[in-house]
Amino acid sequence: MKHMIKSMIAILCVTMIGCGSGAKSPGVTDAEVVIGTTSDLSGPAKELGALITGGEQMYINHINSQGGVHGRKIKLLVEDAQYNPQKTVVAVKKLIEKEQVFSLFAILGTSPTEAIRSLLVENEIPLIAPESQSGTMSDLSRPGSKYIFSTEVGYNRQGEIMVNWIMNQNPDATIGVIYQDDDYGENALEGLKNAEEKHGISIQKESFQRGTTDFTGQVGNVMKGGCDYVLIAAIVKEPIIIMKTAAAMGYKPQFMGFGPTMDHRVGLAAGKAGEGFISANGAYMWNSDHPSAVEYRELCNQYEVPEKMRGMYHFYGVTAAKVLVEGLTRAGENLSRTGLIKGMESIKDWDETNLPPITWGPNDRQGSDQAMLIQIKNGKQIPIAGWMK
Amino acid sequence: MKGRYADENIKWIPALIGLVILLPFMLKGITFSYKYYLYILNTIGIYLILTVGLDILSGYTGLISLGHAGFMAIGAYTSAILVDQVGLPFGFSLVLSPIIAGCFGFIIGFPALRVSGMYLGLTTMGFGFIIRRLIIALREWTQGSGGLAVSSPKLFGYTFNGDWANYFLVWTLAILSIVASRRMMKSKVGRAFMAIRDSEQAAEASGINLAQYKMMSFFISGVFAGLAGVLMAHTNHFISTDHFDNMLSIYFIIMVLVGGIGSIYGAVLGTIFIVLLENLIVPVIEEWLHVLFQIEAGDIESLIFGLIMFLFIIFQPTGLYGMWLKIRIYWKLFPFNPKQRFT
Repeated sequence: MKHMIKSMIAILCVTMIGCGSGAKSPGVTDAEVVIGTTSDLSGPAKELGALITGGEQMYINHINSQGGVHGRKIKLLVEDAQYNPQKTVVAVKKLIEKEQVFSLFAILGTSPTEAIRSLLVENEIPLIAPESQSGTMSDLSRPGSKYIFSTEVGYNRQGEIMVNWIMNQNPDATIGVIYQDDDYGENALEGLKNAEEKHGISIQKESFQRGTTDFTGQVGNVMKGGCDYVLIAAIVKEPIIIMKTAAAMGYKPQFMGFGPTMDHRVGLAAGKAGEGFISANGAYMWNSDHPSAVEYRELCNQYEVPEKMRGMYHFYGVTAAKVLVEGLTRAGENLSRTGLIKGMESIKDWDETNLPPITWGPNDRQGSDQAMLIQIKNGKQIPIAGWMK
Repeated sequence: MKGRYADENIKWIPALIGLVILLPFMLKGITFSYKYYLYILNTIGIYLILTVGLDILSGYTGLISLGHAGFMAIGAYTSAILVDQVGLPFGFSLVLSPIIAGCFGFIIGFPALRVSGMYLGLTTMGFGFIIRRLIIALREWTQGSGGLAVSSPKLFGYTFNGDWANYFLVWTLAILSIVASRRMMKSKVGRAFMAIRDSEQAAEASGINLAQYKMMSFFISGVFAGLAGVLMAHTNHFISTDHFDNMLSIYFIIMVLVGGIGSIYGAVLGTIFIVLLENLIVPVIEEWLHVLFQIEAGDIESLIFGLIMFLFIIFQPTGLYGMWLKIRIYWKLFPFNPKQRFT
């Protein structure tokens, strides 16, 4: 026992002497800069996670093959956090403390990103382009927001934009919303609340739980309420079922969806019922003629990306990586975390991705606050209204 | 005096407690990424408080719970609301919140008087779902599913900030929990629990009030889970309904089973083993596999996890027993519980 205590004291002494951290930024050498991300490779959103991470990796490989940024190759470390906030905290701790990454990048999911806010503050580490469209990301009243650089327009803003558009088209419209009862729906509702106040209207709200497949009740309620416009805050499967249910009930309002419903599969699967469906979208589509989309398809051909991987989410990853590269470039040759934040803040009206021109500033963490509307006409997605604020 | 654990050597316990105190200093000396390891140790400490409580309920009283993440959520949210919104001091909430979680356990104890085995498992699982929905519905206080930011723990004017300070808070309470539960299980209450597990009829015949003790077991277990929830909320600074999904409850059951059911130290060992396996060993194996066979990491994790646990269970009869029972009809055929349904 005595011996043990002695040895412990010895170790303790070693501790006191041996500890000290270097002044140089972690994760940066002359040849390399290490960036950490968490994705979902084996959880509920693994399809999406693998695509986004694949897109990021492809663009980073592309930049590395051209010599990297300021002569440094980018090394992307991916941790699988399974879309779980607790696992994300563990993964990010590991990235920061053990792998000593320079910056965080593209953490997947809203609640996972919310969960790591205190880590961002504690380590003063930036998070570039979180993979979440929640408007809470850029809310500067929340702790750690000044380290987060959110790219796409938030759900709350999307809601406001859609209501503004409706009120322009038809000032007497009755609006209803069917929303997913989680952090996504929560943020969408926040925007709709603002819109209600602005236009002096009242929006009928019907909620459903994640994973629901029967929407008869919700559709019946908005039908009873006489809604001409029904907004859908859901992912891909739900709008299809909602529109088919409504068609079967002989109810034909104008259906509109938030960003995640923009997937081309909605139109394909809903068939006739989905004709005319409008969705808000924060970026040019991957198969459009926009220069960034053309460049994306060329890159896909160059790196032989399988056909089934190409699409909205893979492109999303490429866009995020592009933002990261731009930030690293602007941060200058002497990389530091504050330098990266300054570099990101210097981005003004930057128009090289498929997003509308991006602007960040010392008090602005929302890259883009614009959305366009896309309608399904004859089974094809056609933009019907340009960028709106 | 030699009791149930005749081979138990009490002398190494102070040494072990000494090790727990010195561990962070050792880690700091060995590695610069000690904060990451401290965080994992904190997670172990928090989960350990819960699994010890779960073991009292499942291992000692023979009542299954698949909803313990729900109790943890109650403790976490109650404390977050009491401290940050009502303005109570953390020390007060540290006592009050677990008791509130325990009261919920008391309520869940009512159906436990009538249902058992598989049905009790389903009832408690349903409780887990209800709690999550309740948290979303009480938007006013919990901010719905958007999640809630929580302040750091403050005790006697000292703010526990960062993994280093949290470690000492968490492990002090973890050690206290272990000691308290061991004392409790050796008292009249513990003996009554074990009697209920072994045979309800015999226990009742010996004058044990079944209803009272079963509900007491749920209450005690709820208190431990609530305490774990309080610590989780305040050391993580953020909680959401996704933190407390039902997989977590299953995860706790596995910890207790792998460690060895019906023994407090078993629950402790099981928790340490599972958390270390997940965070330290699985990533290493993943990396080897990736280097050797070029297999993508994400797809292999659950496979390794299952395989290692499978092997472990084969070489650990108690764990094997527990796992086998879980797959069959949980507690009904438990060897210490001769209540036969099929006769």
